[in-house]
Amino acid sequence: MNDKPTSPLALTVNGREVSAVVEPRTHLADFLREQQLLTGTNIGCEQGVCGACTVLVDGVPTRSCITWAVSCQGAEVRTIESFDEDETMAELRAAFTAEHALQCGYCTPGMLATARDIVTRLPQADEARIRLELSGNLCRCTGYVGLVRAIGRVLEARRQRNLVEA
Amino acid sequence: MNAPLAETRAQGIGVALPRKEDDRFMRGRGGYVGNIRMVGMVDVAFVRSPVAHGRIRAIEKPEGCEGAVYTLADLEGVQPIVANSGLAGFKCSAQPVLAGDKVRQVGEMIAMCVADNRAAAEDIAAQVFVDFDELPAVVDMLAARRAGSALVHEEWGDNVFLETFIDADLDDIRSKAAIKVSRKLRTARQSMAPMEGRGVVAHWDHRLGQLIVYTSAQMPHINRTGIAGCLGLDEGQVRVVAPDVGGGFGYKGILLPEEVCVAWLAIKLGRPVRWLEDRREQLTANANCREHDYDITAYADGDGRLLAVDCEATVDSGAYSSYPFSACLEAAQVGSILPGPYKMEKYRCRTWSVATNKPPILPYRGVARTGVCYAIETVMDAIAVQAGLEPWEVRMRNLVLPQEMPYDNITRKHFDSGDYPECLRRAVEAIALPAVRERQRRGEADGRRIGVGLAIFCEQGAHGTSVYHGWGIPMVPGREPVTLRLTPDGVLEIRAGVHSHGQGMETTLAQIAHEVLGIAIDKVRVLLGDTGITPYSTGTWGSRSIVMAGSAVGVACKELKARLIKIGAHLLKDEPAMVTWQAGAVVGPHGWKRIADIARTWYLQPQLLPADVDPRGLEVSTTYQARRDSGTFSYACHAVVVAVDTALGKVELLDYVVVEDGGVLINPLVVDGQVYGGAAQGIGTALYEEMRYSEDGQPLASTLADYILPGATEVPAIRIEHMETPAPYTEFGQKGIGESGAIGSPAAIANAVNDALRPLGVEINQLPITPRAIVEALAAASAASATQGRNA
Repeated sequence: MNDKPTSPLALTVNGREVSAVVEPRTHLADFLREQQLLTGTNIGCEQGVCGACTVLVDGVPTRSCITWAVSCQGAEVRTIESFDEDETMAELRAAFTAEHALQCGYCTPGMLATARDIVTRLPQADEARIRLELSGNLCRCTGYVGLVRAIGRVLEARRQRNLVEA
Repeated sequence: MNAPLAETRAQGIGVALPRKEDDRFMRGRGGYVGNIRMVGMVDVAFVRSPVAHGRIRAIEKPEGCEGAVYTLADLEGVQPIVANSGLAGFKCSAQPVLAGDKVRQVGEMIAMCVADNRAAAEDIAAQVFVDFDELPAVVDMLAARRAGSALVHEEWGDNVFLETFIDADLDDIRSKAAIKVSRKLRTARQSMAPMEGRGVVAHWDHRLGQLIVYTSAQMPHINRTGIAGCLGLDEGQVRVVAPDVGGGFGYKGILLPEEVCVAWLAIKLGRPVRWLEDRREQLTANANCREHDYDITAYADGDGRLLAVDCEATVDSGAYSSYPFSACLEAAQVGSILPGPYKMEKYRCRTWSVATNKPPILPYRGVARTGVCYAIETVMDAIAVQAGLEPWEVRMRNLVLPQEMPYDNITRKHFDSGDYPECLRRAVEAIALPAVRERQRRGEADGRRIGVGLAIFCEQGAHGTSVYHGWGIPMVPGREPVTLRLTPDGVLEIRAGVHSHGQGMETTLAQIAHEVLGIAIDKVRVLLGDTGITPYSTGTWGSRSIVMAGSAVGVACKELKARLIKIGAHLLKDEPAMVTWQAGAVVGPHGWKRIADIARTWYLQPQLLPADVDPRGLEVSTTYQARRDSGTFSYACHAVVVAVDTALGKVELLDYVVVEDGGVLINPLVVDGQVYGGAAQGIGTALYEEMRYSEDGQPLASTLADYILPGATEVPAIRIEHMETPAPYTEFGQKGIGESGAIGSPAAIANAVNDALRPLGVEINQLPITPRAIVEALAAASAASATQGRNA
């Protein structure tokens, strides 16, 4: 049973160069969780629907459950564990907790990855746009109320700062 | 002298405090079962039945992998899961942890395969050959009740787990009622679908002589009792740890056959064994919920005053009776709570819990209340139409009044407190009913039809021994235990047998401790979920934890405070009567002693203690029972405005208001979160979620692309208004609120959609109200009116 084909893989995970050997069928989430022991990336559906496993691949939010690990040759992957010192994520964490944007916490790493993308890519996003952008991340606990408010709060704070700086 | 006061901030009851537990989740450090890594750990994949009903003729293990595959024959001595009810007439059944001679649902486990990782275990599972004699599948619960149906459990002679009947003579009502309305209503089978599925990691600890089972569960002590029973271990040999749990909603309130199998294999192999439920297993194999059928008639006088309700209700309980809530709790609850918050003269209800070849059901957030609310609130709107009244007017005429509280209703439910009419009035005001009616009259530029709907209900929560022993199920909640312990540096440890899977109890229980002791909440550690370090409890279900465990924490903190005062006064050389308790310190005329000072004295400087010090020290174990254990009754009114696209069948929620009375709120931020989240799940029930089955019992939704959960674009910005009528029988006046949000939304939304469609002669009487359901109903109505036109 151990004669599965394997492929060499070299990529950057959270700023660290990683070399590994993976089965072609191994998806990125399993690679991160089982081989790199980065369990902050939660698996929700393995069907590419719920968004819980969202990570950044070359800066783009990506569903790691439907991304083959071997397709990430040479890529830069960032998981939730790499954002402790990130200023934007710190702002989002403060807003998430103030607005009660998480309950069980399982969707949270994926939500934060998407939220960081929204606030950096779409500085003018309004509530409707935030909801649209969040539509690829399911949450079963919060009814999205706190999530939408938290992201809106960070966007508004960033807009205010930009006005001041300008 | 002011120093003790200066270090406290407002952290007690009623403060919308951000949660202590958030940080680890936001940094990817949540401690879910799937994150556990142990040396030598192996993974399990199960061979599951591809047929809904069949006899197993043979199971062939793949050549060369025989040692990696286990069937029931290998699990010598393992007992099946049994969850019988003591209610008269309940038919007993047993669920083998792996199938024996028969399978009764798609997804039932037949063999367990083990390998170094899940993918390799699935490779083995794919090679296991099972030979079946297929049997006709029992799929529809009403057909299942008819004579001649195939039988899920042949030895019963029919497919009914339990029939209940509350009788009443309705002859006089029938003769005097000016209004009679009847409806046949159906709610879909649903999947609870927490974001995290179930998961188990088990290993045998030789030092402790103990099986350690990590499992994503709401009721770890109950799982421990169940696992020990199935494996023939004494409970001291089993420790169950439910670490961080990624959502529960009822789905994780069950003893799983997977837990028993994995635990058995861990002992057998002498190494850690893991099984993580994937989404396909969660949707197609494991427990569902909510499938109800109602044939309901209500009688009212000409002014819309209810005279009687007469109902036949059927619940599809699936193939097995799940432990510990059993196959009959849901339907029996229908019978006891269908009257809702209303007064009536007579009530008759017959219920059936029916076995089918589908997964067993579990109580989902709201349990039967969601279906019941949909049934009675549909009928209330029908009465309003006949009486020529606004829906709120009919409700106002039938609600229990505040001056009648506490009120024993027709099924002897004891409504504890509240002002139901005020709740309704505020919801109608908040939704701006006259403006909505005006908008309806005006019409929409885009042709969509506007509708407004209401639902008002009460939710019995935290009900205890006197209620539950009547169900006769394997578990009856008793006095709720809690243990407090101070460390030498003054940290308060709270150990409680309930669990938190999003409810924020690491914060709210700490707030209660702060309320009594004035201790800063960052000096409070709340320990949950681990049977090794928490007292035995039935766990978290039934909107009970903040009422039961929260009250227990309050009682225990008061006891601890008394002991601290006695020691503190001695250290201050004052009489206890001379000192006061202020902000976490004993304060006398000449100084103060903080909790940490007293704790250090107890543990490390006992020579300073008074000679008559309480020998129980600074550890308090106590239990709590409400002054009356018939439950708290929170209540709410949901009001919603919809726009229905009659061409596409799409429903948009334009406005959504919840007026809610949860008694005294411990943490309004957390309560709002529960209400929002519950309402969002109710929106799923109303409009999106259905677990359909083919005629031969095949589940038709196996991914989250087929089973539609509401997303951020489907859930509106819900508005909440609070009332706070204290509960009369609980420690702080708090009421159970956790399930409430999910109860009202399906009824309110269905009533709103039907309000929008009524001018077109259409009423939809099933959930979910999908675009297809709307378009088909409109097409049928238009075809019928065309036929009438031709015949005229």
